[in-house]
Amino acid sequence: MPDLPELNPVVHGRLRLALLSLLSGVEEAEFTWLRAKTEATDGNLGAQLLKLEGAGYVAVEKKFVLRKPQTRYRITEAGRQALADYVQALKQLLGLAIDA
Amino acid sequence: MQDDTTKQELKDRLSLIENMIAEGRRNTENWGWAFVLWGVAYYLAIAWSAWGHSAWAWPVTVSIAVIITVAVAFLKAGNRRPATTLGRAIGSIWIALGISMFLLFLALGLSGRLTDRHLFAAAISAMLGMANGASALILRWKAQFACAVVWWVAAVATCFGAEAQSMIVFLAAIFLCQIMFGIYGMIAKARERKRRGPIHA
Repeated sequence: MPDLPELNPVVHGRLRLALLSLLSGVEEAEFTWLRAKTEATDGNLGAQLLKLEGAGYVAVEKKFVLRKPQTRYRITEAGRQALADYVQALKQLLGLAIDA
Repeated sequence: MQDDTTKQELKDRLSLIENMIAEGRRNTENWGWAFVLWGVAYYLAIAWSAWGHSAWAWPVTVSIAVIITVAVAFLKAGNRRPATTLGRAIGSIWIALGISMFLLFLALGLSGRLTDRHLFAAAISAMLGMANGASALILRWKAQFACAVVWWVAAVATCFGAEAQSMIVFLAAIFLCQIMFGIYGMIAKARERKRRGPIHA
């Protein structure tokens, strides 16, 4: 029996997975854009982004534009690799499930 | 049963990844309002130049449409779209088209050479066919490619027949490729948002 690949728990959460996927398609994104795309609450979104930041999967930049605070997120190389590995593991698991 | 649930859950995750990546790259559907706006602007300019016989009809209408487009886009940017290479590529096509049309029709209008309606309709149709075709090929979007084909057909058809026939073809192409396509884009976007719903942790 082949070894089952493990799914990265940091990437596996639905909202965190959605955020990493969204960020993988753009250069960088603001908190408000991520909130609009996921329709998550501010608190939930902030908490999940913090987890991704803690894991080193997203980088955060805070600045003021026209005196308004702006928080921008971008996916890091480690985040991109984690997402790629996760997709690979998913496909492998699904392949095994289909084979079985 | 649990295996089925797990398999379904894994498939859901894959589908979520695909949807979110596509969402980040999708831009043109957000611009449905601009297609409708420009369709209406073309109708107004045609009516004004036909009944008002004014050389200013096109330059003025196009200028106002540009101002409205920039203003609405600026207001919508409150949603702050992120930069993507794809977004820049598509945006560049439409900005270049806008500048070309503005300069050409301003010059033609002011020089009083905007008299051959066949040539005028064919030129606009060909330019819009080029922009829609380039955008559709980049986005691999069949609906927009269909619009490009309609514009190319219109560019050829408006060169032949009586002036009235030529204008009917042109007006029909505007209706299909600007107004209908714009409404389709807005409906598709609204449906997508409704279908997906919020994503929870």
